[in-house]
Amino acid sequence: MIELKNICKDYVVGNETIRILHDISLTIKDKEFVGIMGSSGSGKSTLMHIMGFLDTPTKGTILLDSKDVSRLSDDELSQVRNEYVGFVFQQFNLINNLTVLENVMLPAIYSRKRFKYSIRKKALELLRRFNILERKDYLPNKISGGQQQRVAIARALIMNPKIIFADEPTGNLDSKNGEEIINLLSELNRDFGVTIVIVTHEKYIANKTKRQLFIKDGTLVKK
Amino acid sequence: MNYIIYLIKSSLEDFRRNKVRTFLTSLGILIGVLSVILLVSFGLGLKKYINQQFESLAPNLLRVVPGKIFAGGSFRAGPGSLGTIRFDEKDIQRIKRIKNLDYTIPTLTKTITVRAGRNSELTDFFSSSEDLFSALNIEAEYGEIFAKADVAKKNKIAVLGPKIAEKLFGDSRAAVGNNIKIENQSFKAIGVTKSKGGGGFGGPDFDSYIYIPYKAGYIFDPDKKFIAIIAKVNSEKNIDQAKRDIEEVMLTRYSEDDFSVIKQTDLLSAITSIFSIINLVLVAIAAISLIVGGIGIMNITYATVTERIKEIGIRRAIGARKSDILIQFLAESVILSLFGGIVGLALAWIVVFFVQRVFPAYINIPTIALALGVSSAIGVIFGVFPAKKAADLSPIDAIRYE
Repeated sequence: MIELKNICKDYVVGNETIRILHDISLTIKDKEFVGIMGSSGSGKSTLMHIMGFLDTPTKGTILLDSKDVSRLSDDELSQVRNEYVGFVFQQFNLINNLTVLENVMLPAIYSRKRFKYSIRKKALELLRRFNILERKDYLPNKISGGQQQRVAIARALIMNPKIIFADEPTGNLDSKNGEEIINLLSELNRDFGVTIVIVTHEKYIANKTKRQLFIKDGTLVKK
Repeated sequence: MNYIIYLIKSSLEDFRRNKVRTFLTSLGILIGVLSVILLVSFGLGLKKYINQQFESLAPNLLRVVPGKIFAGGSFRAGPGSLGTIRFDEKDIQRIKRIKNLDYTIPTLTKTITVRAGRNSELTDFFSSSEDLFSALNIEAEYGEIFAKADVAKKNKIAVLGPKIAEKLFGDSRAAVGNNIKIENQSFKAIGVTKSKGGGGFGGPDFDSYIYIPYKAGYIFDPDKKFIAIIAKVNSEKNIDQAKRDIEEVMLTRYSEDDFSVIKQTDLLSAITSIFSIINLVLVAIAAISLIVGGIGIMNITYATVTERIKEIGIRRAIGARKSDILIQFLAESVILSLFGGIVGLALAWIVVFFVQRVFPAYINIPTIALALGVSSAIGVIFGVFPAKKAADLSPIDAIRYE
């Protein structure tokens, strides 16, 4: 589904160019549940941003369903993020001046697609499934972290994406809430066939995934 | 959630959280729109006022005046306008022979001192014929106006405007039948005219004039000259022909630069064009405050963009295009500016409502369109740079921003 070939990523800090990712090649297949492990600063988040079309590699090619995305325009990349990809971040990244329900529906606002179903109904259905329906009219900063992360997952799912990228999704949660979120993501993969890539530095979370990739100093290492 | 409704809703939500900032930002536009609209409405009022003054005169009047004015539609002072040329009874008789003229009226006006008892006032007199009253639509309120026979007999009688009558006698009704002294000549006040309003803004102040038969008025001007001749044409369609005929007659005695024959509409358009230019200059000066207001909006939109970089990143991550971000910030600056414009317009409306008691200022549909159009345009013009900045942020840099 997503194929990375010889990806390199450089950052320029002052006069110095730092290579964050060294020649990474990997493939994420449809309906996979993958964990990307690595210590902080290893480049795993950058890798995820590149895979999620948020960032562009300095070198290398990315294929989405065998098509090279490096030639896509900014608008087309936006559309790919909108329709194919869902993001779940460590800091939830909800928009604080929109209600829970509006946050969940937001990706659909930006979509040029015609929907065969009611977005509102679908959003409410997701909130109900995640047990936060009664919080639908709250602003994000008025609900707990665990609830916010569930709103973020609902938002990631509203467009029926092929793949969800979760960047340290439990990093800001206590262990109980963290576990719930991980279970929720596993369920989505198991029951609905959503491809999921979790970036984490915690072993127990990686153990729940079906395949683990390890990244160290910007290179994939076998373990 | 519809895209447009969503845009408006999120802008309003942002304003609700920053009430003071929103108010202060739109205050600039508010003041700008308020001053521009007030000046425009006063300009409109002035035009209306001048028109009213002219309408109150009878239509189809031609004026023969010394000097060459309104040449090519603008004022140009010729030698005659310096007062060297004046007309006499011979001119009257010759113009009277032209067809299609109802009457020809000689006029001499002069600023004089008038006394009644102990009261003394400085005012203008109109030394003219009985036809002046019908030409200028003047009627008697008390007493009567003078007649043809009074002119022929050189009767020393006077008709007073209501303002001067009241100043001299305390009550305008009391003037009738009493004697007044014009430059120490005794005249009998036989009537007081109905008020025609006016004066005050540079227009003719008919209510302060004293009208006397022109033959009696010769005592104030031994040369027996007039400073203007008014001719009433019987029908509007004959005005241009009559004008040419009068010019032809006058040219036999005077050179072309010595006199002008003016149509009422020439005078009106010359006056309104002068006032329009003055008004335009004032509006242009007031418009500077709109630019200042626009800069305020630009400033605050830049601040908002910086404040919300993270939010922009989140929106881009979930699929917002550059254009979506651009439109979002543009919508905010336009709504902000339009809000200032609408409140400014409302305040201008209130001011005009009160001003209307003394002056016919008014706000018309084009003025409202101007206010709303200009304030939206300012929102777009001054919002586009910060909005462009927001749209051009790279998604990954924006979402990492803390």
